[in-house]
Amino acid sequence: MKKNAACIVSILLVFTMLLSACGGTSTSASSGNTIKIGWIGSLTGDQAVWGTCESNTLKMLIEELNANGGLLGKQVEGIYYDTKGDAAEAVNAVKRLITQDGVAAIIGPNASGQAISISAVLEQYKIPDIATVATNPKVTVGDDGNVKPYNFRVCFIDPYQGAVAAGYAYDRLGLKNAAVLYDVASDYSQGFTEFFEKTFTEKGGKIVAKEGFKEGDVDFRPQLSKIKESNPDIILMPYYYKEVALSANQARELGIDATLIGGDGWPSEQLMEMAADAIEGSYIVNHLDFNDPEVKPLQDAYKAKYNLPMELNGYMAHDAFKLLEAAIKDANSTDPVKITESLVKVTVEGVTGTIKIGEEDHNPVGKQAAIVKIEDANYIFQEKYGLQ
Amino acid sequence: MSWDYVSGILILSGINLMTVLGLSLLTGFTGMFSFGHAGFMAIGAYAAATMTMKFGMPFFAALLIGGIASMIVSLLIGKLTLNLKGDYFCIATLGFGEATRLILDNVQYFGGARGLSSIPTVGTTTLPNVIIINIVAVFVLVCIIKSRHGRNMVAIREEELAAQTIGIDVFKYKMIALAISALYAGISGGMMAHYLGYIQPVMFKLVKSTELTIIVIFGGLGSVSGSVIGTILLTFLPEILRSFYNWRLVIYGAAVILIMITRPQGLMGGKEISLKPVIRFIKGRTDKAKEEVKS
Amino acid sequence: MSAFLQQVVNGLSIGSVYALMAVGYSLVYSIMNFSNFAHGGVIMIGAYIGYFCLTFLKVPFFAAFILSALGSGLLAVTMERIVYRPLRKRNAPFLYFIISAMGASIFLENLVIASPIGPTFRSYPPIFSTEPIMLGNIALGRIDLLMFIISALSLMALVYIIEKTKIGLSIRATSYSIKGSTLMGVNVDVVIFIIFALGGLLAGLAGMFFGMKYTVYPQIGNITTKSFVAAVFGGLGSLPGAVIGSVLLGLIETMTSGILSSQYRDLIVFVLLIGVLVFKPTGLMGKSTEDKA
Repeated sequence: MKKNAACIVSILLVFTMLLSACGGTSTSASSGNTIKIGWIGSLTGDQAVWGTCESNTLKMLIEELNANGGLLGKQVEGIYYDTKGDAAEAVNAVKRLITQDGVAAIIGPNASGQAISISAVLEQYKIPDIATVATNPKVTVGDDGNVKPYNFRVCFIDPYQGAVAAGYAYDRLGLKNAAVLYDVASDYSQGFTEFFEKTFTEKGGKIVAKEGFKEGDVDFRPQLSKIKESNPDIILMPYYYKEVALSANQARELGIDATLIGGDGWPSEQLMEMAADAIEGSYIVNHLDFNDPEVKPLQDAYKAKYNLPMELNGYMAHDAFKLLEAAIKDANSTDPVKITESLVKVTVEGVTGTIKIGEEDHNPVGKQAAIVKIEDANYIFQEKYGLQ
Repeated sequence: MSWDYVSGILILSGINLMTVLGLSLLTGFTGMFSFGHAGFMAIGAYAAATMTMKFGMPFFAALLIGGIASMIVSLLIGKLTLNLKGDYFCIATLGFGEATRLILDNVQYFGGARGLSSIPTVGTTTLPNVIIINIVAVFVLVCIIKSRHGRNMVAIREEELAAQTIGIDVFKYKMIALAISALYAGISGGMMAHYLGYIQPVMFKLVKSTELTIIVIFGGLGSVSGSVIGTILLTFLPEILRSFYNWRLVIYGAAVILIMITRPQGLMGGKEISLKPVIRFIKGRTDKAKEEVKS
Repeated sequence: MSAFLQQVVNGLSIGSVYALMAVGYSLVYSIMNFSNFAHGGVIMIGAYIGYFCLTFLKVPFFAAFILSALGSGLLAVTMERIVYRPLRKRNAPFLYFIISAMGASIFLENLVIASPIGPTFRSYPPIFSTEPIMLGNIALGRIDLLMFIISALSLMALVYIIEKTKIGLSIRATSYSIKGSTLMGVNVDVVIFIIFALGGLLAGLAGMFFGMKYTVYPQIGNITTKSFVAAVFGGLGSLPGAVIGSVLLGLIETMTSGILSSQYRDLIVFVLLIGVLVFKPTGLMGKSTEDKA
């Protein structure tokens, strides 16, 4: 009996040793004539739509950059790894990017859970990461209140988004009774809801109903029927556009005519395709104005290259890339630590506004939300709205 | 391959292996099929993380508490559901796993869906620790399997009715198998929490449970060494395929079917790798040497 | 009161989606005693076939229905041929069937994602007005109504085939005992072929309805977990059980969200499910067989 156990144990050890023998042949970081930039995110799994758009955008931008002579006289190489939307996979992918591929910096991932999990690895190897749409506050600031030295992001955070939505609904639209339908299994949705509730009630509004569903659900009529009874003026829908399309359609079918409001999970051409009538007159707290002439070239180029509609993530990936490009130029080096230092120094004009990273929280400073109203199946920009 | 990257995957293999070992006892030796072990991992992960973060408990003690917490829950679940047959037991465990996730999503003490971050990672789930824990786990498991109790479990897997007839307390042994597998899953969850430094209910989805069960089958039902090798191979496989990101899950799915069709006994299929011949060989040599010295 | 009735309507509508899917599980279970987890994948493919028929081939609506049912039927039969038949010939335990089925569902889902179809959500072109029929204060969806009728018709046809035809007789015989019916001259391969074909046809219908009512995306298969729960609730292997279980599950889910708590819905449903199974270990109407596992 003992012998057998011993055997298995020794196999384990032999395996470990065998593997360790293969170690130590890592290619050195970004040397030679290329600068390597990594990207991680979901290319498979529930969030594949967004991840695919991010990586596509980056591929396009890198091609463009290389065609124009590259960066610091070197060609840029993008390396893209799938995380399946899983945090443990993200940690592996980042380790591989850093230790094996030798990237100078990382862009992504497109979800907060993965962005938080990779912090420890980034700190260990001192490689900066710029998250695209990871809006959970914990991405750049730990639970102990200290800023994480190598985590950055180009988007605003959930509390801000929730507070802006509440402030706009109460102050500008003058609506006093709000209902919330949210995804209990989503960190994004929970954070958004919490801060919407807080700001809205502080201002004197009333939350008349708060109903939840679970990711993967497609039928929201039970919750909506209950919301209907509470007779709200406005319904907050803080989740992604597939569920938005379904729940908005179902709300209208049930005869609910309250104004709908949502966040950056909404904007998409698909939403229009699926639910243009239902969301007519709704408001979105967004990162940018889609019809801004400055955004057009990017949209058109993407559409021409991939024949797919541009998702919000593409814009954020664009800005993350521009920020990184500026930082590498500013550092005049591909040394990750120097790039990290430069990230808080540079200011770039992105498609989602001017981006300057704050030193104390690594979030973009003073980024105002763009309030967009849906009129005639179009995203009509209303105003830049920040919270005082 | 760089060592840091490989050691990361090895740690992950070790974390998976812990749960797989437990599942091996449950599925491979006792013949029960669970879709809910991600739930047990979640309980272990949250319990252990709470212990180290909020009560400053040492890592190993916290792991043990995580394991025991999920074991207690498993006793409760087992009491209710172990009398159910095949698919009905499956669905009960599936429901358990999803319900656990839903509770964690809603409880704000554990951060809700936003999860728990800043779990200490330094000096906790390191490769040596993971290896030590797994060695102990394998040793304990082999002891159980080789004992009378282990043989009883195999009897239940092979022919439940017959086992009952010869006086084996089927319910009791199923319960033991479930409890031990939950204990292992809980410890594994605790290790995972301290490896990632962050846990979120979303990490413990149904897919996680099925992945782990697939590993058990891949390695071979009723073989501990099969589970060990299966875990390491299947944890590395997606990493090797990482560059073909789009197709890797397609290949994974096809591989699972292919194995079921062509080699249903899995890699090891009830056999164990044994070093006996090697040992005998070495012994023979030394004996000979001794004789030579004598003569 | 009208709110309550609205919830009943909602529940019935959700339940009928589950029912169309759950019947497929139960059909296969009744003969082969395992839960065919690849069924969700077949439903998903059915939804895509319907979508492409309507948007690219621009065939009429009912033709799309038939094509999608045929396509899924073909897929289900092919899958049986490639994946399950070798296992069946070897008398492999049910565990292997389940694992292969899971492998197949992983394969199908990711094949769609990796193919040019990609992970994007797609919506069916509007076929019916989404304007609901209002009965007083209660909204009744047109698609729901149509779905209810077609499901009822196809389920009745299914029951007719099983209860009244010769092939139905061999299906019933096989579900009692594969060995026994083989001895009586029933060709089990043919019976299983038919079972999968029927299950596939229904999966195509279910997929199309799902797509029309909601949307099409590669992870549709996940929703079938719910219909699996429904099938277990009603008792695996029993067709009336699958239907009743599905309708009950739909109603219970809706009532839980509507009256108790939408946040804890799945937990409450789970506790209820365990409660039912503790008192009735084979579900509401399940056939009590010796465990083959």
